[in-house]
Amino acid sequence: MVLASEPLLRASGLTLRRAGRVVLRDVSFELRVGEVLAVIGPNGAGKTTLLETVAGLRIPDSGSVSAHGRVLSGLADSARVFSFLLDEAELPEEVAVSTLLAHGQRCSRAPTDLAASLMNALALAPLRSARGRELSRGERRRVALFSALCTTRPVVILDEPLGVFDPCQQLGILRLLKKRAKEGTALLLSVHQMSDAEKLADRLLLLCDGQALACGTLDELRALAALPGASLEAVFLRLLEKQNGCCYAAT
Amino acid sequence: MLRRELAIVLGARVTWLVVAVAALLVGHSFVLAIDLFTAGARSVEAGGLMAREFDPLLGIIRPTLGGIYIAASLLFPLVAARSLGIEQERRSLRVLLLQTAAPLRLLLAKYLATLAASALLLGTMIAMAMLWLGIGGHLDAAEVVVALIGHALHLAFIAAVACAAAAWTRTVAQATAITLLSVLGSWGIDAAEGFAALAWLGSAAEWSITAHLHSFEHGILSVGDSAWFLAATVGALALALIGLRFDWPTYRRALGVCAVLLFTLLWMKAAGRQPRAYDCTQARRVSFPVAAVTALRTLQPPISLTVNLDRDDARRRQLDLDVLSKLRLARPDVQVRYPLDDRVASTEATRDEGYGRIEVCAGALCKQTYSGSRKELVTLLFECAGQPLPDWTQPNYPGYPLVVEGRRRTVVLWLSYLILPLALSTIGLWVTRRRRRK
Repeated sequence: MVLASEPLLRASGLTLRRAGRVVLRDVSFELRVGEVLAVIGPNGAGKTTLLETVAGLRIPDSGSVSAHGRVLSGLADSARVFSFLLDEAELPEEVAVSTLLAHGQRCSRAPTDLAASLMNALALAPLRSARGRELSRGERRRVALFSALCTTRPVVILDEPLGVFDPCQQLGILRLLKKRAKEGTALLLSVHQMSDAEKLADRLLLLCDGQALACGTLDELRALAALPGASLEAVFLRLLEKQNGCCYAAT
Repeated sequence: MLRRELAIVLGARVTWLVVAVAALLVGHSFVLAIDLFTAGARSVEAGGLMAREFDPLLGIIRPTLGGIYIAASLLFPLVAARSLGIEQERRSLRVLLLQTAAPLRLLLAKYLATLAASALLLGTMIAMAMLWLGIGGHLDAAEVVVALIGHALHLAFIAAVACAAAAWTRTVAQATAITLLSVLGSWGIDAAEGFAALAWLGSAAEWSITAHLHSFEHGILSVGDSAWFLAATVGALALALIGLRFDWPTYRRALGVCAVLLFTLLWMKAAGRQPRAYDCTQARRVSFPVAAVTALRTLQPPISLTVNLDRDDARRRQLDLDVLSKLRLARPDVQVRYPLDDRVASTEATRDEGYGRIEVCAGALCKQTYSGSRKELVTLLFECAGQPLPDWTQPNYPGYPLVVEGRRRTVVLWLSYLILPLALSTIGLWVTRRRRRK
């Protein structure tokens, strides 16, 4: 049994090189049951790469990821723990939404009531007969979110889940994600908009140039930036300012 | 999972475009074959040719399968590489692997979906065979099925190579290019056949895809050729599976690739040497007479023939296709040697008086001849073995000449050039149409 204080997921010293360049440098963090951890950082900071490495889609040069105290190695291990939504991954445009939904549900062996509630929350019923190519960007993202969230795996990793939605839809998705977290699913997500991260995340991991600059609650980050009561955006810019060259606007 | 993969393959316009173009190619081959067959059949009516020479397998089915062969080699890779390659291109493959947690199952689902598209290609051939029957032509089911099995194995092999290429590359274009290169490599080996100057490439002939289709197209079910295609297909799928294992460290993948290549090449080599084959033709017309076959099987080994003919000599090709092919069916253990292949270069000037000599050996005795006649060579074999030539009568193959002209030819032209390609295009457009949302 997992104790509430014991981390569900622990990433230790993740380092990854690509084409001779270090894209992740000794990144470590922990994630607890039902916690939402948002990875924030400027473009090219390595947010997506970090999520892919944690999910086992990339093999780190050093470091490890463990779940329930056990180091994960290989696809089978990762598949027991993670469900993943990759921002860049496109839906198959030839396939009907109904087929995609059934496929997602069957792969994760998720209970029918979970699938039904997600269908409802993501308003997917009217899209069932459409094919991938006939959907708008937001609709495609809702279908992809269904596949990622319709799971009993303990950690859901979402790469930029909110970027494509209008404010109205975004509110619904934020509510849905918070509900899933409350039900015990740990969420690890990358977020571009600081306001979204502020609304959703329990803790934040600030990544810059592949390095973790800070990790903690918003208050802990405010303290680190010496900006009590400031918005996350202000904290973000201040912390990047300290790290010269990390952010064009900040420098 | 298969439903999703089938939708990706059959829901793509490129699949239906390839099938429609393949139908046009097959239809064109069919029309050309019919015209040639008809021209010959008119000579039968005029008493100029023997009716038994009119073999629909070689005269109609084989040339029509040429259309399938071209489509399978040059067009089908576009469809076959797309199934897996499009996931790479859309960056969804790794997420899909994480979601399903079953690389082998995913690969097999994608492979089966690709085979479904290949079935559409074979369907165009079956449609032409039906058309041939419909206009009064004759076909023997067993021999046609054997020919189709050969091309089905060929398509399955191309699909597996395309899957392997897609698993190791990033885009559909890269995967298609690699698949086409492997086909062209085989064509390069074929091109070397028949050129004395390229005799050094002779040992590569056993790696030619076309060479392994030959027996099927003649109604011979060859165990060796079937096993060769099976080995190549399984090997390519194993390479594809290793390509999908992104979670394996590089050294493990490299070791896996080496092991699979080694095992596959050895298996293909062993399969290529398996001489057992079954004559499935009507009246067993590609075999020696039944009594001769029975008697040949009782001869004590070794049986060997040494043929002093160059690779580019038409007599050698004729000998290969006729006597040696029949001898191999009766005695799979027969050894055939071509000493002139071992020379670095062969020109007319270097041909000595022994050129054209065939040495026939059975047991310890050998005899020589310059004749390529099947009866002469078999007689010599029995003489070497000290036995009389058995009864040489063969069941009569009547031949099926057919003149296709007038209205029947018009129907063939309409169906081959317009109706079938158009029907497939229409089905494709309907299947891939935009749907109105409910």
